[in-house]
Parts: sequence; structure tokens; C-alpha cells
Amino acid sequence: MANFNARITMPAEAKAGEIVEIRVLVRHPMDRGGQVDAEGRIVPRKILNRLTVTYAGEPVFRFDMHTGISANPFVSFTTRAVETGDLVFEWREDGGAVFTRTARLVVT
Amino acid sequence: MSSPISRACARPEREPSRRQLLAAGSAGLALAALPDAARSATQTPLAELIARVTEGATPMRGGIVFDIPQLVENGNSVDVAIGIDSPMTEADHVRWIHVIAEKNPYPNVARFHLSPRSGRARISATLRLATSQKVAVVAALSNGSYFMADADIVVTLSACIDGG
Amino acid sequence: MTTRAALFIGLSLATTVATAQEIRPGSAFLSPEMRRQQSDEARNPGFLWVEQGEELFSRRSGEAPACITCHADPERSLKGAATRYPQVDAGSGKLINLEGRIEQCRTQRQRQPAFGYESPELLGLTAYLASLSRGLPMSVTTDGAAKPYLDAGKAVYERRQGQLNLSCRQCHDDLVGEKLRGDTISHGVGTGYPAYRLEWNEVGSLHRRLRACSLGVRATQFDYGAPEYLALELYLAARAKGLPLESPGLRR
Repeated sequence: MANFNARITMPAEAKAGEIVEIRVLVRHPMDRGGQVDAEGRIVPRKILNRLTVTYAGEPVFRFDMHTGISANPFVSFTTRAVETGDLVFEWREDGGAVFTRTARLVVT
Repeated sequence: MSSPISRACARPEREPSRRQLLAAGSAGLALAALPDAARSATQTPLAELIARVTEGATPMRGGIVFDIPQLVENGNSVDVAIGIDSPMTEADHVRWIHVIAEKNPYPNVARFHLSPRSGRARISATLRLATSQKVAVVAALSNGSYFMADADIVVTLSACIDGG
Repeated sequence: MTTRAALFIGLSLATTVATAQEIRPGSAFLSPEMRRQQSDEARNPGFLWVEQGEELFSRRSGEAPACITCHADPERSLKGAATRYPQVDAGSGKLINLEGRIEQCRTQRQRQPAFGYESPELLGLTAYLASLSRGLPMSVTTDGAAKPYLDAGKAVYERRQGQLNLSCRQCHDDLVGEKLRGDTISHGVGTGYPAYRLEWNEVGSLHRRLRACSLGVRATQFDYGAPEYLALELYLAARAKGLPLESPGLRR
């Protein structure tokens, strides 16, 4: 999807053991299916159905989404800072497309 | 009938089709006179939806801070924040948090998988609510127990719709 | 009734001495939660469009120079620009809004096909440029060549129209603060647009919002960029003079 973009808000640095909050806003229509578009066509269901987050390679969060999640969804969660590493955010869309974003957390 | 996926993840099977709903609607005013019966004819009761995700266990009430506006300005995006008081250790943590919107076309709304790495059991998200209804949260703990909370939500209608 | 009174008092306090005629921004009619979210860049989905616009601003298409080639350092050079739209275009003598100016640059200077009103690209660029003026006071020119357009816009605002036979003024001056189904009637200033409307699930332009108003009173919906809406946009901006620009706003 051409217009996918994500805004990931989290501290760039944290102390070891500190709990950091991660806020994620994504651009996606989350079409729940069955709506009629301007041309009178039925819009098929196409949503992001899962967000998985790994931190330095280890899974730390997973968000299973169904049609009851809003368009351009927002989610926030926490993780404990353990080591300097990348948080990799991976969204899976109906139909199999995958979108990935990365954010680095430096642990002091 | 065995299924490769657990019952918790399965699509609700007993949901009537749109055609069945229309048929039920045109079947007469008998249903209108019996609103409770009508509701149960077209909807899976919340208790059963909850039982599906707990695989039959009855969750305990309490222990969950469930923050959701009682009066929703637009059902397209409804803020929820959910927190559970848990040490989030290997021995004692919240495994997942599940959200059910009883009257949504697809009542299972979301599941948040947590772990001791979460540090805290606190999430927030934006839901889509089809209509005024009860929204329930079920949390699964590492010791096999379940907790729940629910809230009655009124979804107001916007005045200025443009079909867009 | 009590709730409404309390809400009204709350709003009045928020805007110091509120009189019936004092124009308040759209955000003053939102719930505190939505108002807080509007200003939170991590939370307001409108910033997803702003981000797209910022990216487009620096991107070249074909041989054409990118926007940023001429408008270097846009955070400074274009700060406040959006508060001066709509304005009369010196070349054509016609009233032009921010969308129109972007399309003009695109077709005449970059020699690229127009994006088209309400396209994601034009919405993104408009939201981005508007965001550079966030918090700055609206300051459109209303005299000189702009005067006839202002008068035309005022006439649109005050004219009863549609099957409901309502003028803009009847709601947005006379019934401000009252409830219309789940909404609270605002002063109808457009300072939050392009805005993310929950109703739309996306960012839309002021003209899209005005088209919804027209539909609401069962009146003729003018085209995007139509002279009637442009003139009305100028009148609304003049009415909002001094109010902070809020785009990307968050609206119900």
C-alpha cells in the first residue's frame, strides 16, 4: 500500500531496567469489508491483522487486530530496557503484505 | 470436528448470515415484541463470547483498570486504555489482554500479547464500535486464571455526515 | 441542561470573557480528550498526512525541481504562509486558496500534472504547509482586491439555502454551543483544516467539510475549489482573524 506510514514515538535512550512506553500510529484505512465506495463497488476486507514487535531479536509484544480496530490505528505498550538494540515493528496485512519499521533504543 | 486453530481464535460459527437476519426481521413483529428473544436470536451472548476466549473458565471480576469513555463521540475511533496490576515477572505475569465488543459484527476486537519483558501490563488502542453496547476485557494470567471487566458504552451519532 | 450549562461555563472560562460574538476555534468545541490529542503529534493521525507532505515537498518528480529547490528551509521560509490564504493571486486577479497555490506551483512552475483536489498528495502537502503555521494567528487580507471576494463570501454565509432553508449564520452564529445530535455547534471557522475527521477516518480539506454542510441543509454541493466555497473560505478566515491556525485539526 503506497500510503502506509508509521509514526513510532519512544525515547531514544533509557537506563537498563527502565520501563519505556512505545506509542505507534499507523496510516491504514483498515477496510472492514462490505462498504460501498464512491464508484458503487463493494470494498473487500483489508486490514492490518497483526503487529509484532521484537527487541534485539526477542519478541516483546504482539497485537492481533480484527475489524473492530479503528482506521489509522494507534497502540501503546511498554517494554523493559535491557540492552542497546533495534525494535523491529512488523505489520501483516490481509493478503500477506508485510510492512516493517525499525527504531533503535540505546540503553545506558 | 477438530480444528487446527484453537477455539479462541476461530471465527464465530453460529453467527447468522445477513440473509438470515433479514429473514428474521421480516418474519414479523413477534420478535419486536420480544426484544430479548430477538437479541439472543441474532447475537452470541457476551458470556459465551467470553467463555470462548477463556476456553470455558469463568473469569474473576476486578483487578483491571479499564478506561473507556462512557459516551463516545464517534464510534469510528474509541480510545481504550487497559491496565492490570501485575509484577510482570516470569512467575506472575499477564499473558494476554483480549477485548470483546458484544454488538460489533465481529465481536472479537483485539488481543494484546504481553510477557515479563513488558515490564508493566498497560496498553492503549483505538477501537471501532458499531453501536452502543457492552465492551468487555478479559485478561489471561500466567497462573492460568482469568480476570475481566466490562463497561456500557453509548455511541452517539454525528450530525454532520456526508457519506464520505 | 445542567451539563450544557457547565460545558458552556467551561468554554467561557477557557476563552476569558466570552461574549456571544466572540469567535472561538473549532477545538474549543471538542472534548478535553480530543483537544489534548489534537496537539499531540504522536497521537493525532493528521500528522501521518503532514509527514507524507513533508516527504513530497523534498521529492523530485521527473526533471522538475522539487518544492524545496525554490522554498529552501520551509520551516522558516513558509512559516505563517498558510495564515494568509485564501488570497488574491497577483497574476490572475483570482482568489486562490492554499490548495490552489500548490496546484499552481505544480502545473506552472514544476510543469507536472495537477494532483487533483482531495488527492492524498495534495492533502499531504496542504496539511504539511498548514502545519508550519500551527499556532500562528490567521491573517488574511480582506481589503483592496480581496474586498469583492470577502463580500461574496459573506453573502454565501448569510444566504438561506437548501431544502432546510438555512443559512450558515443561523447555526454558526445564532446557535453556537447548542447540540445537534452528538455534535456541538461551533462557530464554523475553518482553522483546523485540512483536518482529520473521525467521521471520515482520514484527513480532508475544508471544501470537503463545506460540501458536507451543503448536503446537511439539502443544498447544492459546489465542486471542490468552486468560487462559492473559495469566497466562503475567505469570509471564514476573515471571521477567524487572530485565531491560531490548528491544522491538522482533529474533528468529530
